[in-house]
Amino acid sequence: MRSSRAGLGAALLVATPVLIGMGYMALGALGLIGVGAMGFDLTRIVRVLSERVVWAGLGWSVGVATAATCLALGGAVLVAVTFRATRPGARLAQTLAVLPLPIPYIVAGAAAVLLLGQSGYLARLAHALGLIRTPIQMPALIYDRWGVGLTLTFAWKEFPFLALIAFSLLAVRGAALEEVARTLGADAGETFRRVTWPLLWRGLLPAAISVFIVQVGAYEAAALLAPSAPLALPLLTLERYNDIDLARRADAFVLGFVGLILSVAAVAVYEWTRARWELLDQ
Amino acid sequence: MSRAIAVGRWVALLAVGALACRASARGPRAADEALARLPWGSVVARARGGSVTWLMWRGDPSINKYVDEWVAPRVRERFGIELNPVDGQGAAILNQLVVEREAGHGGTADLLWINGETFANLRRENLLYGPWAQRLPNAQYLDSASSIIMRDFEADPAGYESPWGSVQFALIYDTIRTPEPPRSFAELGTWIQAHPGRFTHDQSFTGISFLKQLMYALGGGVARFQGGFNEDTYRESSELVWAWLRKTSPYFWRKGAAYPADVAALERLFANGEIDFAMSMNQNDVVTKVRQGVLPASAKALVLREGTLANAHFVGIPSDAPHKAAAMVVANFLLSPEAQYQKQRPDVWADGTVLAIERLPREWADSFSRLATDSRAVPRDTLRRYAVPEVNPAYHERIAADWRARVRSGGQ
Repeated sequence: MRSSRAGLGAALLVATPVLIGMGYMALGALGLIGVGAMGFDLTRIVRVLSERVVWAGLGWSVGVATAATCLALGGAVLVAVTFRATRPGARLAQTLAVLPLPIPYIVAGAAAVLLLGQSGYLARLAHALGLIRTPIQMPALIYDRWGVGLTLTFAWKEFPFLALIAFSLLAVRGAALEEVARTLGADAGETFRRVTWPLLWRGLLPAAISVFIVQVGAYEAAALLAPSAPLALPLLTLERYNDIDLARRADAFVLGFVGLILSVAAVAVYEWTRARWELLDQ
Repeated sequence: MSRAIAVGRWVALLAVGALACRASARGPRAADEALARLPWGSVVARARGGSVTWLMWRGDPSINKYVDEWVAPRVRERFGIELNPVDGQGAAILNQLVVEREAGHGGTADLLWINGETFANLRRENLLYGPWAQRLPNAQYLDSASSIIMRDFEADPAGYESPWGSVQFALIYDTIRTPEPPRSFAELGTWIQAHPGRFTHDQSFTGISFLKQLMYALGGGVARFQGGFNEDTYRESSELVWAWLRKTSPYFWRKGAAYPADVAALERLFANGEIDFAMSMNQNDVVTKVRQGVLPASAKALVLREGTLANAHFVGIPSDAPHKAAAMVVANFLLSPEAQYQKQRPDVWADGTVLAIERLPREWADSFSRLATDSRAVPRDTLRRYAVPEVNPAYHERIAADWRARVRSGGQ
């Protein structure tokens, strides 16, 4: 009893700032608080949710975050499996793989501008090699419709986080289980399919979900690399929050809820998946 | 049961806390009213030992350097005021002040760098202290004949903000890449179509200002837009802007499907040779940016014949500023001939003065007239001849919103 009360207290302590923020956001979305508040009104929510730019921005952000998460996940699995602790040089490779971990998003975004822009280092290299003559001939990788540069930046930035988890998953449980599989007669492919892969994806899924959520809402890199149309959800949210027209500023609260619902949905999908595989395990 | 009680206790605690905060924020504003009547010497005396938190745009190293390394040490030395510049501009200032008012803890900012719609919105929300600006001793030197300095997007500052500087819109081009630049909007349109992918504007204030000037030019001149917002005038003339863009924007950078986020991104594209024009809301920007090595040495400023937007920027004091007297003393120092001269030096910031040179003491008038004009800048006479004033902020608001909805999102 005592420990559960302490647990509740701790949970509340952690949740309070979030709950206050959500409360403020809810009141703002309903027109009760914040800049330009004009009293209780549901029409704002209806209006924002019926805007095409909102859904285009949401879809675009989800698409980029999904692609980046898959890329990062694929990279993490590949690196973790290739550089097992037992191989020579693995430690060095593992260290190199996690190197981008402490780099802030804004620095990663600025680096991407320098590297991938139509007048960036890649373009200059292509020019030096005689592949292109003017910047316009370089394929657009930033501010581009499909968010290639942003996807690559996100993937590069989150790959080390997932790789770190993959390394530890394999180091703690992988070796022993794989050995058992081998002893029971499984070949390398079978061992990967039956032991290594299930171990990795189950361990990595919660991390991948959180990576996805972070990327849908990440502002800095998007501000530097995303196109102006469709406008990514975090950019649209801040643009509305800073709108010259005060009446539109509270739109940001509604958009905040859109992001929140998406996060909750991602967690729900994870919980559902976990419940299913736990059922299968029994 | 005990869990419910614990939760109840938490809620009660939060509620009491919130009420306590509200109560402490209430209190008579008598001190503020007295401040407005004090002789200037007493204001200065009261300011001593105060600190001034200044919400300002911190995006330009030369402005930051002027404020941090030139203004701050002088107000510390002379008035015992600690100047603390903090990043925050336009919309963010308003949001912060509203949230602080809702929190009821009293304000944190003492001085604000504002103009245009930010000023209008702050006044509408009753977030500015005043009137105080006309009381500043250095206000006697103000160029009070200039409608650009004495009006803020057609609004009367009414003593709720004090002029700090004046700027004018200019295009920036490269004399080597474009030896014969266009000189009017018509010529610009022809140039853009002849040079696909080499022109664009940004999505922020400067880019919208470019569109607003286009609207003046196509809509029959600035006079039609003066004297408040008119829906019909806006409709008619904005249609001309959309038509111009329909014809021209397919020849923009990225075929008009993407626009740089801000002036910094636009300048980067220009400096890297991706586009041939940049633009700035400060006619002298090109001078400072070339000195910093951000723009190529062959860059030069240009104004179009139809006119170029001129506006002033101001400092205001929030109504819940903790150190109003100190903020007034800083505002007065910013208006001094000495501080205005330093600010206008091309190697410092090159921001135009708001003072009337002929009203200044002789030695300062001489210093100002000796300020060399850089050959990259537009000559002062040309600037003055082509200056057009800002109009009601509603025009800016509407054209920004409609551009986002109709052009940027591809809805055209």
